[in-house]
Amino acid sequence: MRRSPSRLSVPRLSASRLMLPAAIAAGLAAAALTAPAAFAQETIKVGAPLPLTGALSPEGLKQQRGYDLWAKAVNADGGLKVGDTAYEVEIVYVDYESQTPRAVQSAERLITEDEVNFLFSPFGSGAAKAASSVSERYQIPTIAATASSPSVYDQGYQYLFGTFTPNDTLTTPLTDLVLEADDTIKTIAVYARNDLFPLAIAHEAEAAAKAKGLDVLSFDEYAIGTMDHASALTLMRTRQPDWVFVTGYINDLILIRRQLADLGVAPKVLSMIAGPAYKEFIEAAGPLADNVSSAAWWHPAVAYDGDDIFGTTADYVAAFEAEYGATPDYAEASASAAGAILGMAIEAAGSIDPQEVREALAQMDAVTFYGPVKFGETGQITSLEPPVFQIQDGTTKVVFPEAVKQTDLVIGGIK
Amino acid sequence: MNKGQTMHRVAVALTLIAVALIAALPALSDNYLLRLGTMGAMYAILALSWNIIGGFAGYPSFSTAAFFGLGAYSGAILQGAGLPMPLAWVAAGLIAMAFATLLGLAILHLKGHYFAIASLVVAEVLLEITTSWTSLTGGGMGLNLPIIRISIDAQARLFFWSMLAIAVMALGMNYWVSRHRLGFGLMCIRQNEDAASMVGINTTLYKVTAFALSAVLVGAAGALYASWVFYIEPPDVFATLTSVKPIVMAMLGGAGTVLGPAIGAVLFLAMEELVWRNLLQIHAAALGLLIVALIFFLPGGLLGLVTGKRKRRVVAKKGETTSNSAVKGGAA
Amino acid sequence: MLYAQILVNGLILGGLYACIAVGFSLVWGVLNVINILHGSFVVLGSYVAYFAYVHLGIHPFLSIVLSGALLFALGYVIQAGLINRVIAAPVLTTLVLTFGLELLLNNAVLVAFSADYRAVQLANPMGSQIIGGIVFPMERVMATLLALALTGLLYLMLAKSKIGRSIVAVRMDPEAAALMGVKVKRIYAVTFGVGALMAGAAGSLLSVVFPISPLNSTEFLGIAFVVCVLGGLGSIAGAMVGGLALGVIESFGALLIGPQHGLTIAFSLLILLLIVRPTGIMGRRGYE
Repeated sequence: MRRSPSRLSVPRLSASRLMLPAAIAAGLAAAALTAPAAFAQETIKVGAPLPLTGALSPEGLKQQRGYDLWAKAVNADGGLKVGDTAYEVEIVYVDYESQTPRAVQSAERLITEDEVNFLFSPFGSGAAKAASSVSERYQIPTIAATASSPSVYDQGYQYLFGTFTPNDTLTTPLTDLVLEADDTIKTIAVYARNDLFPLAIAHEAEAAAKAKGLDVLSFDEYAIGTMDHASALTLMRTRQPDWVFVTGYINDLILIRRQLADLGVAPKVLSMIAGPAYKEFIEAAGPLADNVSSAAWWHPAVAYDGDDIFGTTADYVAAFEAEYGATPDYAEASASAAGAILGMAIEAAGSIDPQEVREALAQMDAVTFYGPVKFGETGQITSLEPPVFQIQDGTTKVVFPEAVKQTDLVIGGIK
Repeated sequence: MNKGQTMHRVAVALTLIAVALIAALPALSDNYLLRLGTMGAMYAILALSWNIIGGFAGYPSFSTAAFFGLGAYSGAILQGAGLPMPLAWVAAGLIAMAFATLLGLAILHLKGHYFAIASLVVAEVLLEITTSWTSLTGGGMGLNLPIIRISIDAQARLFFWSMLAIAVMALGMNYWVSRHRLGFGLMCIRQNEDAASMVGINTTLYKVTAFALSAVLVGAAGALYASWVFYIEPPDVFATLTSVKPIVMAMLGGAGTVLGPAIGAVLFLAMEELVWRNLLQIHAAALGLLIVALIFFLPGGLLGLVTGKRKRRVVAKKGETTSNSAVKGGAA
Repeated sequence: MLYAQILVNGLILGGLYACIAVGFSLVWGVLNVINILHGSFVVLGSYVAYFAYVHLGIHPFLSIVLSGALLFALGYVIQAGLINRVIAAPVLTTLVLTFGLELLLNNAVLVAFSADYRAVQLANPMGSQIIGGIVFPMERVMATLLALALTGLLYLMLAKSKIGRSIVAVRMDPEAAALMGVKVKRIYAVTFGVGALMAGAAGSLLSVVFPISPLNSTEFLGIAFVVCVLGGLGSIAGAMVGGLALGVIESFGALLIGPQHGLTIAFSLLILLLIVRPTGIMGRRGYE
């Protein structure tokens, strides 16, 4: 059943092969795409290549929860209303085994074989960037829910949109906040995983610290798969930094947090990205999680009154808790937001034509449960103000921005 | 013997027809199919190349990923430095070959598991070096390749035909080795290395040559792959599975035969695609099951089933030198 | 003082490494099988410890009995039912077979427990002791000491018990052992079971140190490889020396060359050692 439509969709393929001007190609593509959709009883297919197995599988499963919740909410609401038709949402998942080339392959398969109308990017900046060339080629509007690096968006692509602001929007407010809270903080040590996102954010942290006149005592990298940090942390202890900034994924950060405590490294401020935003971090680190500061693109404590399917942030959190029995984190929320934004764009366009939905996305200026949504020239979101938070007594508390802040940043108290 | 020659001619003719048919794949103008075809050709290159050292010489090499990754990064870096794409592919192949020669001199005196581990760990070391050497390789951030300014469909065809051309070269290389003195020498080494050395075979030379041959096309394929996907990162091109899959393919089709690894590669791709499509989260388990089933039910591979060479392993174990293949090799 | 601390760090880590590797080394030495499943066995041991602690309140240091017993049973069945059937085949066959089984088992663990990282959070953390200016993280120290004790027990078992003597006899010469009335295939299964038992026990001990996830299996396997080659195969003492050596080398390497090169150093050393001295530091002629 899946294969037969692909053989029929010759017009789209030949159009792109002949390299007709973009507008004509898009028109034909739209014709080819809408035709099978009409036969498929008003279903919109959204492709989602995810790392469901392999090293990134914890992240992949978070994405999946976020997308599923959106699809479920839309379908329970009777589908997306476009003119007189209501479209059910079907998300087509492919596992790309945490291998970037496989992600690219999956994207092409979803577009050409499964005939998806829209696409969600694979996880992270690297894979999102690699796959964006495919969706651009087929002119499929694509939303990246977990890509923050500006280099993903500055390729001049028209069909890629992202829900994460650049990395410096996390590190700059955090730095400002720490220095405002305690002006005796003069030195920082950075410890980063040598991997795309963790390394990029560590460099941003270093830059932000230098801009504020902090003395960067050390900038060390550790390899992916490192199972012991004792040497690096022992060395760090001898340098006595006021502020320790660590980047990595949740397993690294749990291990590093424990070893910091083991070796008695107790800076005034300990910041970690990206793990403390996940409840698994607090569960695994226990009391050691307390007073760790971090920043993320979203937090369940923010409060927005959205025009999207989920309504307010509190409504979204409640819906998520009802479905999964857990509080959503920023990765899960960003995935749901990607869906919600796509839904709003489709309804605003009054069409599922890729070109028109793309225009609607480019012109979007709306508020969602996730935050205000407006995309810049490159397609990356510009309207979001990522919250800074700190774990206090086993729960995360937002300390910035002012509008949603729950408490003040606490200096000290790192065990 | 006459019958054998006829069989042989039929096999060659069928192979040529199959290659011609596959080369005409772009006529269907289905880009996904073309992507699969490129992948299949790449798998065939890896399996056929492994076959030289693993199948003919019987050395359990796990260094395919090392050659592949080395080729991918060499090609990507050279292309980034301005070398035209095809030259970068050739250079990457030669770099992989030179590396394999040196590596072979160092580790081919090891036997059995020791050789397997040494060859496996090489990829790990290269992975770590690539990740750490940020100034040259981009480290954990990965490496972007220059965009090619030709149409998307032309690109798909270009990469497909190029990959297929290398696969045909790999097939030709296996054919040549099997009919050449080198192939005979390697089979002797597989069956009893001490005896081979006693009858005057320069085992070191033979083994190192085989190892180098098993690297050259893999390196080129790695570089082509890098150009094809535009973006590479260390864990992808140095993945352990890249070393293991070709072995499974070769065993599936029949290790130590000329056509077996190619047939195995195509079958493996088909199975992978089917499994991958239909089992969202358990395809690794499905692959594992395939491997286990293969070991127990098809130890000589598919070609072994056809030509009745299943007994080969048992014979080899007893150290006799009169198995089918050895006789054939001797006559050549 | 810095160097003393690094040395202590390295030795503690090395004890854990030795414990990860000892079962792997035993199987390799006696059966001539490289057990790719070993890393997943360790992970399973950690899960047993995790659930035993969370649901039954059994301390991970006590649940080594439970995880050891369960893993022994699993290992015995795998060897008796599957690997024994191809034990005489070339190296490549058993290697690829255990690789296939690893794909199966690891995928099963992933589906059963998900890849989310968990950690055993002790109700009464042991904290750190500072002795002479050197920090001793007590949970790690205890895990290491227990690991060494377990390894000692295994050594005694091989040296003194009847079954242990049979294992050693089979390792020396399976055909002679068979003539002496040893049921070789059964000994193979027992040995594989004991290897899995050690992996499971190591997993229990490690559960207080490392976050738990199926994704860790490759790291554990990598460590087992390096330790075995460093120390030499099949001997308990070899695994101990190899583990401690790796821990110390990795710690000093990270200090002197940089933390991002810790793994590179370990693996480069492994290749170098294979090339010049394939029998390991302890230098016993391996069985190939």
